[in-house]
Amino acid sequence: MKKREKAGFFFILPWLIGLIVFTAFPMIAAVYISMTDWDIVGNAAFIGINNYKMLFSSEEFIRSLWVTVRYAVIAVPLIIATSLTMAVLVSKNRKGSGVFRVIYYMPAIVSGVAVAIVFKWILDPSYGLLNGVLSFFGIQGPDWLYDPDWVLPSYLIMAVWGAGGSLLTYLAALKDIPEDLYGAAMIDGANVFQRVKYITVPLMTPIIFYNLVLGIIGAFRKFTDAYVLGGAGKEGNFYMVYLYEEAFGHYRMGYATALAWVLFVIILLLTFIVNWTKKYWVYSE
Amino acid sequence: MKKVLSVILITVMLAALTGCGNASSQSGKKTYTFATWAAGTELQEFQQIIDKVNEEANGEYTIEVLSIPSDYYVKISTKIAAKKSPDFFWLTQELISKYADMGALADITAQFEASSVLKPDMFYEGVLASAQYNGSYWGLPWIANPMMVYYNKTMFTDMGIPCPEATDDWTWAEFIDVCRQFSGKEYRGNTVYGTVIDGWPNIETFIWAGGGDIIGEDGTTIVLDSEEAKNGLGYLQTIVAEGLSPRYAEVSSLGDNNVWFEKQRVAMYFGGMQDNFEIKVAAMSEDEQFEIGYAPLPVCDGGGQWSFDWTASTVMAKSLEGDETAYKALEAVTQAFFEWKIAPPVKDSVENVVNINPTKENALETIAYTMEYARSAYYIPEWSDINDKLWYNLYVQLLSDSNFDYKAEMDTIAAYARELINQRK
Repeated sequence: MKKREKAGFFFILPWLIGLIVFTAFPMIAAVYISMTDWDIVGNAAFIGINNYKMLFSSEEFIRSLWVTVRYAVIAVPLIIATSLTMAVLVSKNRKGSGVFRVIYYMPAIVSGVAVAIVFKWILDPSYGLLNGVLSFFGIQGPDWLYDPDWVLPSYLIMAVWGAGGSLLTYLAALKDIPEDLYGAAMIDGANVFQRVKYITVPLMTPIIFYNLVLGIIGAFRKFTDAYVLGGAGKEGNFYMVYLYEEAFGHYRMGYATALAWVLFVIILLLTFIVNWTKKYWVYSE
Repeated sequence: MKKVLSVILITVMLAALTGCGNASSQSGKKTYTFATWAAGTELQEFQQIIDKVNEEANGEYTIEVLSIPSDYYVKISTKIAAKKSPDFFWLTQELISKYADMGALADITAQFEASSVLKPDMFYEGVLASAQYNGSYWGLPWIANPMMVYYNKTMFTDMGIPCPEATDDWTWAEFIDVCRQFSGKEYRGNTVYGTVIDGWPNIETFIWAGGGDIIGEDGTTIVLDSEEAKNGLGYLQTIVAEGLSPRYAEVSSLGDNNVWFEKQRVAMYFGGMQDNFEIKVAAMSEDEQFEIGYAPLPVCDGGGQWSFDWTASTVMAKSLEGDETAYKALEAVTQAFFEWKIAPPVKDSVENVVNINPTKENALETIAYTMEYARSAYYIPEWSDINDKLWYNLYVQLLSDSNFDYKAEMDTIAAYARELINQRK
């Protein structure tokens, strides 16, 4: 190895050590832990794939996975559609658009716990903002988080409220679309919807793809607001909440680690699938 | 270069492994760490107590404070996992059996029974039982917070309803009758209720009300599906069905359930001894103030009278088992705690309650009465799993729908609990 290469190696050494100690080693350890019966305190007993067998026969696992999948299937496209629409609306430099950009993006910088507490009030069945507005129109609002049937819609409302998080990436992508294309389309008589459909959306597909992947990962890792707010009938028991409870509520660290690996595999598979579909719908030059 | 790289990688891996395997407390050591969830003012008070204990130890030992104000149990358990357990730490009653079963705690039975400083018979029996598991003592209780009934004496008087007495032997049926006299009536421009229930008081309180229990005293028998336990939950069903408490979904609208009592929306509240309604009411404007009355929990069917008690114990790390100096420090610090918070879990100390908290003077008679029958549930290592079912599948269901078939669910949970115990390693 040349002197220059050696110097380079030593420059990246702190990062390399961090990667080994804080990422590679815990991952290898986690594979082993997932195959043990370990209650954190005592010694871990190797039980092979028993945790994985138990997991797939557990009602709670199925339920939490179902709660999470159902949320992801609806929330991810909903968030993409909402944030893309918001981005298109505020992308033009009209009077006041800067204010709206700030307002839409603001949820992204608010802590998850604070959001959960605010929504606890917004969704309060008796004195909440939402039911207050509904009652103004003579509609009796539901019990939201206290009614199992309304827990998922409650979380979807929260998701839409926070959709501005990806606004910046969409805005940046919108700015990259050449104005000439819109000009040419207008000369050809394309109306606003046609311009969005045939120019904006296709050219935005790379960033939609990026947000789709991140959205899927985020939906499956949903934790903070679900942990704070919960939901009637365990409908707010998302996968990560279940994992956390198993690890630190019931002290089943081996089982919880197996849950974490299953989640990793699910997310990995979904990412591969989405990546495979890329060639059919993502625009590339 | 490959060799250098290999050496570095191996060194890093070994360092990581070594870091995970180091024990922090060893027998004979004279400096102990004490983990606490106390924060802010409470932490300052805690530190002062520890400083005083250290001073009185005359250099025999020193206790150092380790404050863990958030995610306390997550951090405690990970420290134990990393073989860096604090020497002393607080543990709430339902976790004693779990931690003892996992081998994290020192068995202090021999030292406790032989001690001339703090003896088992000095403690209230029901409170001390919370630190026992499998016939051994695993910690020293330092605080007791049993439940009693706070009531709005002004509301009772204004509405012409006779008040319960400070040591009343009223039954649950009588309690419900009193609730009926308030619920749905107007008071100070609001509809009021007899009491408020939203998961508090806990399900044990109602199960005990019928003379039943969840787990037997032996820690292996499940009695949740007994007729007595079902009758007890019948009282809860009556309260929900007759609207004697605000709807479950409505309670949080005012904030925590205690706000319903503070805002004079309910006549009676099941509160812990430590609840500071006296201070809150004194801080209210004159027209909002009301007189607080105190009564014990109603007598259970069959004559038993239990008040659910929340107790925390100070426990010692397993590595200190048999360490006489450590046990001496544990005793010294526990005794100091008795002068700090209410209620001290030892007999003949009720008068001390007023010294610690003068606002509780009017409650003294009820406190003294309640302490005699304060107890926690019989907790076993499987409690967290059983409790999950009790909460989600039973209590919340019944609170949300009074027609819920709670008896069938109690049978299901009892069968589940028995299976868990059968699988015990």
